[in-house]
Amino acid sequence: MKRIGLHAGLWLAVALILLPPLWVLRTSLVPESMAYSTDVFPAFSLENYQGLFGQKRFGTFYLNSIIVALGSVILALPFAAAMGYAFARFQTGGRFGRFLVLSLQMLPPVALVLPAFAILRSVELTQSLTGLTIVYAALNIPFLAWILMGFFEGIPVDLEWAAMTDGTTAWGAFWRIVIPVSLPGLAAAGVLGFILSWNEFLFALVLTGSKTATIPVALASLQTSNGIQIGKVSAGVVLAILPLIIASRFIQRFIVQGLTFGSVK
Amino acid sequence: MASIELKQVSKIYPGSTAGVKDIDLKIEDGEFVIFLGPSGCGKSTLLRSIAGLESITAGDILINGEVVNHVAPRDRNIAVVFQSYALYPHMNVWQNMAFGLRMRHTPADEIDAKVKQAAELLGLTPLMQRKPSALSGGQRQRVALGRAIVRDPQAFLLDEPLSNLDAQLRAEMRLELVRLHRKLGRTTVHVTHDQVEAMTMGDRIFIMKDGRLIQQGPPLEVYANPADTFVAGFLASPPMNLLAGRLVAEGDGLSFVTDGLSLPIPAAYRAVYAPWVGKPVTFGLRSEDFHAGPTGDASVPIVLQVEAVEALGPENIVIGRIAGSEKPIAARLTRHYSAQAGEMVTLHADLMPMHLFSPESGKVIPRPRAAASPLRRHA
Repeated sequence: MKRIGLHAGLWLAVALILLPPLWVLRTSLVPESMAYSTDVFPAFSLENYQGLFGQKRFGTFYLNSIIVALGSVILALPFAAAMGYAFARFQTGGRFGRFLVLSLQMLPPVALVLPAFAILRSVELTQSLTGLTIVYAALNIPFLAWILMGFFEGIPVDLEWAAMTDGTTAWGAFWRIVIPVSLPGLAAAGVLGFILSWNEFLFALVLTGSKTATIPVALASLQTSNGIQIGKVSAGVVLAILPLIIASRFIQRFIVQGLTFGSVK
Repeated sequence: MASIELKQVSKIYPGSTAGVKDIDLKIEDGEFVIFLGPSGCGKSTLLRSIAGLESITAGDILINGEVVNHVAPRDRNIAVVFQSYALYPHMNVWQNMAFGLRMRHTPADEIDAKVKQAAELLGLTPLMQRKPSALSGGQRQRVALGRAIVRDPQAFLLDEPLSNLDAQLRAEMRLELVRLHRKLGRTTVHVTHDQVEAMTMGDRIFIMKDGRLIQQGPPLEVYANPADTFVAGFLASPPMNLLAGRLVAEGDGLSFVTDGLSLPIPAAYRAVYAPWVGKPVTFGLRSEDFHAGPTGDASVPIVLQVEAVEALGPENIVIGRIAGSEKPIAARLTRHYSAQAGEMVTLHADLMPMHLFSPESGKVIPRPRAAASPLRRHA
């Protein structure tokens, strides 16, 4: 009896979480005119997707998002890794330094948008993917550094000492030993950073133009004075979620597998 | 080949009592020495300082007579084997062993030859393609040793390399390390808290406590003449029996008197102990100096109430109390000696190897050497 109650509760929770995205998927695959129908699946149509990629140039925005999200992660990771390592191994800045880094994440994003805009305008990087990539990288660094710090703290210092007596410099030990050993952590951090950048809306809205919009901005622009084009929005949402599903599969694998060290003890 | 010398070396960690203070020692070229002490005594810190992995706060470290305080670890040409082995988890055995040579830009064919040779020496040849995670503890240990050997360093620093192994493997590796040292002839510093390793492996032991060097010397020498009560207690199991009491003059002799017991001091020691008459002293006698029967002039019968008998197989450890005393006494007797708990037994203590310690400082009161121990150290 208790088990049945438990399972009923679980099913309810699953339904609460899964039904909205499933309904979005359904709406993206029915004609716009039937989007608000109460039928579960009135008719099948790809017109929303065709419309998105056709007159809405969704392909461009999709590519923009990929470029910006990937670029920002690739740009941020080396800095975040060096920073996280310095925090973990050398206690650089002490507790206050760590707090300072995290405190940037506590500011409401809107407080950072205007300064970011002002800076980018002065170097003429507004409305450009480069500018947005740099800003995203800057936003990612503290967060990624924090994650990687935890990861580096788990790596025994003996490994680096062994490398240093084996003939590397401290930097060499970091590069040849710590980084390869941390690959799963770097991958996990990278995927998280990618998701953050991918989903970001506010900065993208302010810092991009009509040609350089990212997916969240492009989706918002479907909300026109003629009403929301719910079919196309749904299709856009489905497409926007896709890389995240792939990414979370990755991250799951890395996080679950963890590190089978075997080198220590 | 290298001699290692430490002059007034201190390492102080800010805001911590750990570290080492004013260490002076010299390790001769080709010597096998042991740093022995309880955990936290600073022996590993000292080892890492020699390797260059920790900067020292004061003093000088000399390798081959040259000060190396500011020489990077990689330029000291010293190999370290860590307690955790510290094998690179993303590399297989071959790569682990070749890493040091690759970092030194050794030609590939030479690396191959050296790694192969070390692998054969350590019986690792069939494991070369394995990752550390696929190795047993003993195998990892060997890889860590192999990684040190291939580089042909001028000295080996071993930081408790055997402490993660089970007892049988540890005994095997103990012999193996001694064998390797004999074969390679390299200066070796072995850090341990295990008294068996300390007694059996090294040419000399350095005993440390609370960041200070307490005593140094050949193992049996230190064993027979501990510098203080700490060394007396640390270097054997069961530890040296220590009894608090006072020294009194009786006729023209001296006696150590404690609760329920009066022990005549051997005549040879009278002169040096005379100034301590009337003062409190700590009397020390090792468990193996108790015998079932009288052994000589300095043999004194002692009556013990047996509390427990630990039958170890080759020997029996009898633990008992002297009537009126709180302090248990451990006596190491042959396996033929049997006693029951609760029984009163008479044992004969050979007092020639005895020591007296100052109860305040714990330091030994120097006395003439006892007649040479019949034990001889292996060559």
